[in-house]
Amino acid sequence: MALLDIDGLSVVLPSGAAARPILDGVSLTVETGEVVGLVGESGSGKSVACRTVLGLRPAGARTSGEVRVSGRDVLAMNRGALKALRSGEVAMVFQDPRASVNPVRRIGDFLTEGLRAAGVPRDRALERAGELLAEVGIRDPRGALRRYPHEFSGGMLQRVVIAAALAGGPALLLADEPTTALDVTTQAEVIGILRRTQAQHGTGMLFVTHDLELAAAICDRIYVMYAGRVVETRGARELFDAPRHPYTAGLLAAAPSLEPDATPPRPIPGRPVSLAENPPGCAFAVRCGYATDRCRTETPRLAADDGGAVACLRADEGILTC
Amino acid sequence: MIRFIGGRVLGLVLVLLATSFVVFGAVHLAPGDPVSFLMRGRPITPEARAALTEQYRLDEPLLAQYFHWLGGVLTGDFGRSVQFRQHVGTLVAEKLPVTAILVGYAALLICAAGIGLGILAGLKPGFADRAVLVGTGIGTATPAFASAIALTALARTAGWPTYGGGEGFGGHLKHLTLPAIALALAFGGLVARVTRAAVRDELGREHVEAARSRGIAGAAVVRRHVLRNALGPVVTVIGTMVAGLLVSTTMVEIVFSVDGIGSLLIKSVTNKDFPVVQALTLLIVATFVVVNLVVDLLQPLIDPRLSLTGRGAR
Repeated sequence: MALLDIDGLSVVLPSGAAARPILDGVSLTVETGEVVGLVGESGSGKSVACRTVLGLRPAGARTSGEVRVSGRDVLAMNRGALKALRSGEVAMVFQDPRASVNPVRRIGDFLTEGLRAAGVPRDRALERAGELLAEVGIRDPRGALRRYPHEFSGGMLQRVVIAAALAGGPALLLADEPTTALDVTTQAEVIGILRRTQAQHGTGMLFVTHDLELAAAICDRIYVMYAGRVVETRGARELFDAPRHPYTAGLLAAAPSLEPDATPPRPIPGRPVSLAENPPGCAFAVRCGYATDRCRTETPRLAADDGGAVACLRADEGILTC
Repeated sequence: MIRFIGGRVLGLVLVLLATSFVVFGAVHLAPGDPVSFLMRGRPITPEARAALTEQYRLDEPLLAQYFHWLGGVLTGDFGRSVQFRQHVGTLVAEKLPVTAILVGYAALLICAAGIGLGILAGLKPGFADRAVLVGTGIGTATPAFASAIALTALARTAGWPTYGGGEGFGGHLKHLTLPAIALALAFGGLVARVTRAAVRDELGREHVEAARSRGIAGAAVVRRHVLRNALGPVVTVIGTMVAGLLVSTTMVEIVFSVDGIGSLLIKSVTNKDFPVVQALTLLIVATFVVVNLVVDLLQPLIDPRLSLTGRGAR
């Protein structure tokens, strides 16, 4: 049984009379101790997919499919079970620590709040909070507990957020673009801490990012999302070396490279579309250099190939190798 | 911190000084003659008129009169009331308690009802929210004296106690309930609307969703992260409301025949009793400035990012 098993998840937002689809049949798994990347541009639905794992749905959204954590469907959980899930089994690190930590409460408050809610006595919770801060490399953990969020740099505050996420001893860590809001120099440190703590505790991790190269560097497997659907998935190495979906290939070509003989970055033409404004057929067809008339009428299904799966009608034609 | 308070106190003194001059000048420039009022239209001998003019220093230039008055104020002597022939200080001290109780009572009602309704409207979109918006809209648009008149009419038909002096604190409280409600109707809506907006604003913050994602119970999220963070704008609006409350009290006191400083102020203005008008205006301005100083001192306790010394501010 997989630690996390999202199975055919669809999310529809009611906006006025016309319902707006956000996710369409997304499936993915994370095993215990595995780091899985979820990559896509903004609006692809990757954050929505990530948040449903904690039962956090956009207001008024209708969902179908199943999101199972250790075999139990999160979408069918009652309030008490959800609370237990959030304070224990699954924890989340948000994108911007300045936005995700309450600015008017002390760090100690932030760290012990979850523990106290779970019934840990105050002294024990504070002691545990200090240990957690030391674990993520905060100097003077006891002093840090009495400080306010604005007294920390962005990178340090994200360490605090990671410490809070580890407080409940989670089996699954959700990281929603945890380094996007940080300076480049602190990004590497935060990624290092995430990887180290994840490996030490044997935690499974779902790493959401728009940066395919970063995902390839730290993840075991990667899912690439486009317009609310998974378009390709395979091992990080294979995906990076030999992408089979034109969108994945486009993402890789769009990233600048430091190699002296590298080709200059080629952006994907056009703009990302959301599932709602999606024309019939393949959502990527309007931006795809390989699209045929068939691509514009027939929606490709995610089909297994060697070592992964891809949703492209022309994947078997070997179009990307040339 | 001490420098900040020192600066603010200096500012307070300057504001009071400027206000005192404007008020002093305005009262003296207004048409009408205090001496005529004193004699109540009776004929007056030139000697008597000269004596009165001498007593109130009416023949001196405005600036000289002002500085003489200011010198008295600094030593706690606000002069003598023209109409009551009493020391202004004694007169005000006599009338102040009932107005203080009325304003405090109204402020309490405003905070309880305004904040309560604002939280309700902020947390529960839909019918409750719309009802509060419509109700506070009507309340805010109706001046306090209009609600006061409506309430007296209502009280007369229903046989509720209107103001009749009252025995002791409890008696005052009982008889001041309707005037306090009249004031609260006019100002509670503003507090409710600001509270609602602040609660809405905080509810949409990511740290609130993050708190939920950590398995914190809904009631604790609302108390510790939504309401706690929404406090800043609410305290600010309550502070700025105090001046309006003091001014509106005058009309409400007249309507309910409450014998407080509001009634005293109106009577003194009509009768050209300038020492009383000056003292009361200064009192209102001073209260406003002091309350807002307290609000400014509270803000850093509410939001630690607003450090008084500027250290650690973003």
